[in-house]
Amino acid sequence: MGKIFRYECRRLLWNKFFIGLAVVLLLYGALVLHAVTILGVAHTAPFSPWSFGDYLSRMLPLLWIGMLFFLTFYTSPKARRAAALTDAAPMPPRRYALARCAAALTGGALLSLLCMVEAAVFYVRMFGWCGWGSLLLPALATLLPALVFALGSGWLLGQIRPWLVYVWMAVPFLLAALPLPEALGLWNGSFFTACPLALETLDPAFVLPVAAAAAQAVLLAAGAALLAWGNRLRNITKK
Amino acid sequence: MEIKIQNVGMTYPSGKQALKGLNLELKSPSLIGLLGPNGAGKSTLMKLLVAALMPTEGRILADGAPLEKAERQLKASLGYLPQDFGLFDELTVTQFLDYMAALKGIKNPKSAIQKTIQAVNLEEKAKSKIRTLSGGQRQRVGIAQALLGDPPFLIFDEPTVGLDPEERIHFRNLFSRTAQERLVLLSTHIIEDVQSVCDQLVVIHHGTILFTGTPEQLIESAAGHVGVFWERDEKQEQGLHITARVNTSQGIRCRAVADKLPPYAQAEEPTLEDAYLYLISREAV
Repeated sequence: MGKIFRYECRRLLWNKFFIGLAVVLLLYGALVLHAVTILGVAHTAPFSPWSFGDYLSRMLPLLWIGMLFFLTFYTSPKARRAAALTDAAPMPPRRYALARCAAALTGGALLSLLCMVEAAVFYVRMFGWCGWGSLLLPALATLLPALVFALGSGWLLGQIRPWLVYVWMAVPFLLAALPLPEALGLWNGSFFTACPLALETLDPAFVLPVAAAAAQAVLLAAGAALLAWGNRLRNITKK
Repeated sequence: MEIKIQNVGMTYPSGKQALKGLNLELKSPSLIGLLGPNGAGKSTLMKLLVAALMPTEGRILADGAPLEKAERQLKASLGYLPQDFGLFDELTVTQFLDYMAALKGIKNPKSAIQKTIQAVNLEEKAKSKIRTLSGGQRQRVGIAQALLGDPPFLIFDEPTVGLDPEERIHFRNLFSRTAQERLVLLSTHIIEDVQSVCDQLVVIHHGTILFTGTPEQLIESAAGHVGVFWERDEKQEQGLHITARVNTSQGIRCRAVADKLPPYAQAEEPTLEDAYLYLISREAV
């Protein structure tokens, strides 16, 4: 399984698409950092968890697209033709799917890391600031559920119809345009700009309200469940 | 290795019945040629044998165990080349075979890969990216992944498609050598491929088996049903199926199969192709 994981990482990460996406992410990240984050959000410091979370939520649509693009390596018509060979191998389908999804998740994690490293370099260069510990929670709360949900839902949709994965890429843009309930504010960034103001203290410490934390936990669990469902659906349709 | 197909039928969700009442026993060592026109049900049968599909009727036993229970066991001893397949273009030939070796759980992948690369004459392309290969070379990669790890049961669906004549002969001989101690099922509609190497034939048409036996038996069944005549002598005969028309200085010489040869036709020794066409044409009447 380790070897399959390594080869899948190689397929997903060692190509023009990944490099292109990384370049776009870095350029867009630089734009956000220099135009928005530098001012700080909701009267907090630019390096506050709120400003950092706002930066990540602005990067989320691109990360979502990246994650779904990784899945097209497994769901495209070309990939389905290759499945005629791989399906005849004795490796249990669940283990194989696990190795492949782990590779896609690694790709998503690497892109996320790239965004965070860019922010880190920005903070050190601009403010000489390096208190990373406080930024871990907003990063995890914003990115992990979103990327796992992208993986699970994209995997399932890809098993139903490969083109649905491309349609699904538009979801974060749609969400950004919609007035979401407070609990889903992490999905369109409104949480990071509205929540500190509601706390009514100057430069408040980062807190994740129960409703928002529950919504993110539900999305994380839903992503994992959809992943398992997609894998089951694949085996059923095969038979 | 022993495969028993008992009363197998396959109806797709669309309602199309691809196979009906199939009974067949395949036992190693043997090289079995599966012949039939396009749409006869050959590929469906192959998909059932590799557990990519489950039969809607009947059952398949692999070494005595029902396939649905022994799927993993069967796959562990299977090498399969489907008619239509894709490869990972981003990987080199060696990397792709290493990937497939990992999926197949092959213990010593390095030597297994080296051996199959040699067997399919791809040494020069071993380090080339798959996207740079020609159609014939890709087909050889497909054959290589099937041969990987010397599986005791090999299924090849149209393996010589896209190969040049020299390569086709090479692979025919390779399949023949491979079948000396294994069970090899070779599906094709190129009669030449099966004629030269297969010791057993299965002819399938409209989802049913028309013939099982040796190539010699199939040829014998067409004795007295193959004839040649000049085209100018031909009358509108019912049930006469022309299999070849050759332009000569004296006119056009026709070769045909028929249940009853017309009086103007001169009987000829049947070839395997004649016998196959006779069998199929008889079914069509």
